[in-house]
This record gives sequence, structure tokens and C-alpha cells, in this order.
Amino acid sequence: MREKQTRSVSALPSVSEARLESVLGTAVDGIVVMDDKARILLFNKACETLFGYTTEEVRGRNVKVLMPAEYAHAHDGYLNNYLETGEKRIIGIGREVRGMHRDGTEFPIELSVGEAATPEGRQFIGIIRDLRQRKAVERRLAEAQAQLVSVTRISALDEMGAAIAHELNQPLTAIMLYLQAAKRKVGDDHRDEKLVEIVDKGVREAERASQIIQRMRRFVEKRDPERRSVNVARLVGECLDLVTMGTDCRDIEIANDVLDGLPDIAVDPVQIQQILINLIRNALDAVRQAPVKRVGLSAAVSGGDMLIRVSDSGGGVPPEVVPTLFRAFSGAKKGGLGLGLTISRSIAQNHGGDLAVEPNGGEGGAAFVLRLPVDTPERGDQVAAPPGRKGPTA
Amino acid sequence: MTIHIVEDDPGVGDSLALLLGEIGHQVEVYPDAESFFEHVPPGPQDTVIVDLGLPGVSGVQLIRWVARLSTPPRVIAITGQSRRAITELFGDDLPPVLLRKPLTEEALIALL
Repeated sequence: MREKQTRSVSALPSVSEARLESVLGTAVDGIVVMDDKARILLFNKACETLFGYTTEEVRGRNVKVLMPAEYAHAHDGYLNNYLETGEKRIIGIGREVRGMHRDGTEFPIELSVGEAATPEGRQFIGIIRDLRQRKAVERRLAEAQAQLVSVTRISALDEMGAAIAHELNQPLTAIMLYLQAAKRKVGDDHRDEKLVEIVDKGVREAERASQIIQRMRRFVEKRDPERRSVNVARLVGECLDLVTMGTDCRDIEIANDVLDGLPDIAVDPVQIQQILINLIRNALDAVRQAPVKRVGLSAAVSGGDMLIRVSDSGGGVPPEVVPTLFRAFSGAKKGGLGLGLTISRSIAQNHGGDLAVEPNGGEGGAAFVLRLPVDTPERGDQVAAPPGRKGPTA
Repeated sequence: MTIHIVEDDPGVGDSLALLLGEIGHQVEVYPDAESFFEHVPPGPQDTVIVDLGLPGVSGVQLIRWVARLSTPPRVIAITGQSRRAITELFGDDLPPVLLRKPLTEEALIALL
């Protein structure tokens, strides 16, 4: 039907014209042909979908009908300017503009315009690509990247504080106990007043340091994790997207075996995302120079906990490094404080879970196992534990 | 009466043993729950001081195991973790007597 009408406007039907018709009909991009008075001569199927007009409705009308007001006003001017001066603004260049649907909705399009001299005069061919989908992807990418930045920062300070407090506590505890033991020893055996005094001062200084840590810890603990039910497959998928969007990992085989249908976990999604992103990044870094570049993600329930496993086929963690791997400032990785794993473990433990490393079976490399509590209906009671339920503290 | 110390940090374990030894207690130190289990179970006169953040079998599991003994010893848990984390750790079980790191002699003596 469209074919017939097109022919009534244009020249005699021919084989090549029939072929053109079928090309226009099947093209994914919108194609509009107009004459030098901006009248629409041809409007393909894709255009009908894009703009909501049928060919019959727009043929012969000014192409402005497809444009938002501000373009429509200027269009005659642009066209005349070109026809008079031959100065090309869009022809052969293509640019991002906005189209307008019949219902008034504006949408981003990429418009390329070509020109043809025909027996019927000059004609302009516009090829229109709908950018809405691409825009949506771009927006999602931008959001994802912004989120990645905030994810790595949002609780980094809190968690760093917690990790430092925790790591400093161990040697500080030892120092205080050693000093107190020494004080007892000199006090009992020698009655060396001066030495007792010195040790006393040492104890006081250690206590001062401990108070600083306790204050830091109180500050850090003020913020309760915002726990909610989180779908594991979705969380892992998002983290994988976030990491892979930002880095080149084309030559790395990434196997995400985290299936839908696992029970939800009760976690602060932002914090757990931080752990997973850290683990996935580490895994990708680990295989970058390896002969086999494979990173695997899986999850399973074991003993009421969710175990999320991030494995790689890289060099693995040397056995002598394993004991200190999660200690703050012990990391062997260049360009970092070695806090990533410390913070990650501290987050996991704050959730009542843990983070551990194990050899990655036959493939070589390492596997990090993140253990997190599965969401249970009574969780609400536990989280909002009354003060009486909290353990006595020193 | 023996004080059993299950603590993975060698500095903390050693210093605690030294101080308690100075005070006059008989002390055994274990770096993890596994090696604690290999020994003769503690008697009712004994005290078990356990760090909650142990590698492998956790301090919480150790405390549950000890609590099921027919004549359980006294248990003191030590931890550097937050109160919130501890409440989470024990779930419905009542946490044992708890000392937070850094430990002080006074707090220890008060409990022993």
C-alpha cells in the first residue's frame, strides 16, 4: 500500500525502486526523505514507530512536524541558508538532536543527513537512530561509576577506623600486659622504686593509647549497619558489572555461577558490595599476568550461612603470607595501604560472618570465601536487641 | 586450677600468660581452638580465657563446646570486636563474661 502511494508521488516504478522500498521497510533506523521545501516525500516503517505517525499522515507535510519547537522554528532558516550558501551544518556530519513523537514526547536521536540530486530536484535523506536505549545505558554506566566511587568511600573511613582500632588493640594489649607483669616482678623482687615508677608511666601511656582507641571505636560503632534482605545473585551481578565496566578485562574468562533462587542474606548491601568489588578486583588483578586467566564466582548455603566464593587462576597466596593477609598495613600489593582485605574482613565480622582465603583447588590461584548470615524471619528481633541482651563489657 | 588461654595473637597470648603467671596462676596457652581441643578438657576449677576472633573453629564455637561439658569451667571471652558484632555472634545464646581489648590487670584480677 505504501509502495503504491510512493509511486504516485515519485517517478515510474522500477525494479530498483521496489528494492529500495524493501530496504526502507526493513531498515532498523528511521529514514526520511524530504524535498528542498522540507516536505516529507518518504517516511519508512521505522519512522512510523519512532514518531507515531503513519506515512499517509506525514507525506507532503513539513519535516518540522517531527521536531520539537525550538528546532522547528529554526529549521526553515537552516535549510534556506544551506540552499543559498551551500554551507553545511549537518549534511554529511550527523549530530545528536531531539525528535518529537506525535504525543509530544521528545527523545534523543542521532541524525545524519545526506543530499541527492534527483530528476525531481534536490532531496535530503535523513537517517534517524533512536538514542534512548543508548542514553539509558550511558546513564546506567555513569550511575554505576558514581556508585562505585561512593561505595568505596562511603564506609571506608568508618571501616578503616575499625580496622586500625582492631589491629592496634592486639599489640597494645600485649604491651599493657607485659608492663603490668614487669611491674609486678620489679615490685615484688627488687623494690626498685625508680623502675616501678618508670613502668607505671609506661602503663599510663599505654592506657592513654587504649583510651584513644576506645574513643575511636565508639565513634565508629555509632553507625549501625543498615541491614536488609538482599538477593545474592543480584548483588553479585551488580558488583561484577561495576568492576568490569570500569576495567579492561576482555581477555579474562569470568564465570559467574551464582544462581538465582538462593536464600537472601541479611546485610548492609553497600558494605557487602564493597567487599565483593574488592575481591573481584583483586581476582582480576591476580590473573592479569597469569597464563590461564579465569575468575570464578559462586555461592552456596552451608550451616545457615551463605558462602560466596571468588576464585582466580592467578599465582595464589603464598602460605607464609596467609597468616598476615588480613592484617592492616601488611599488604604486599603495590599502591595500596593493604587495607582492602582488612576492611573487608572487619565488615564481614561486623555482620556476624567472616572472610577467609583458601587455595583454589586444582586450578591454582586463590579463593576468597565470604561467609554471611542468611536472612531469617526472626532477624528483626536480633538486630534490634534490647540493651539487656548485650553482653557485659569491661 | 589452671587458666587456659586460647588466643591466636602470640603477643597477647604470651603477655597474658606472663602476667597471670606473675600473679601466681598456672597457665596454658593455645594458639587456636583446635589445639585446645587436643588437650585434656578443662575441669570445673579451671578458667578458660578465649579470644572470640580465632582462626578456624571460632571462639563462639569453643564457648558452646565448653558449656556442654558436664562440669564446665569458668569462661572469660576477650575481644577487640564491637559490642554489636558480639551480640550478633552469640545470637540467642547469652554471651559469657566479656573483656574488651586492651585488657587491664585490674579488670582481669577482678574476674579471676
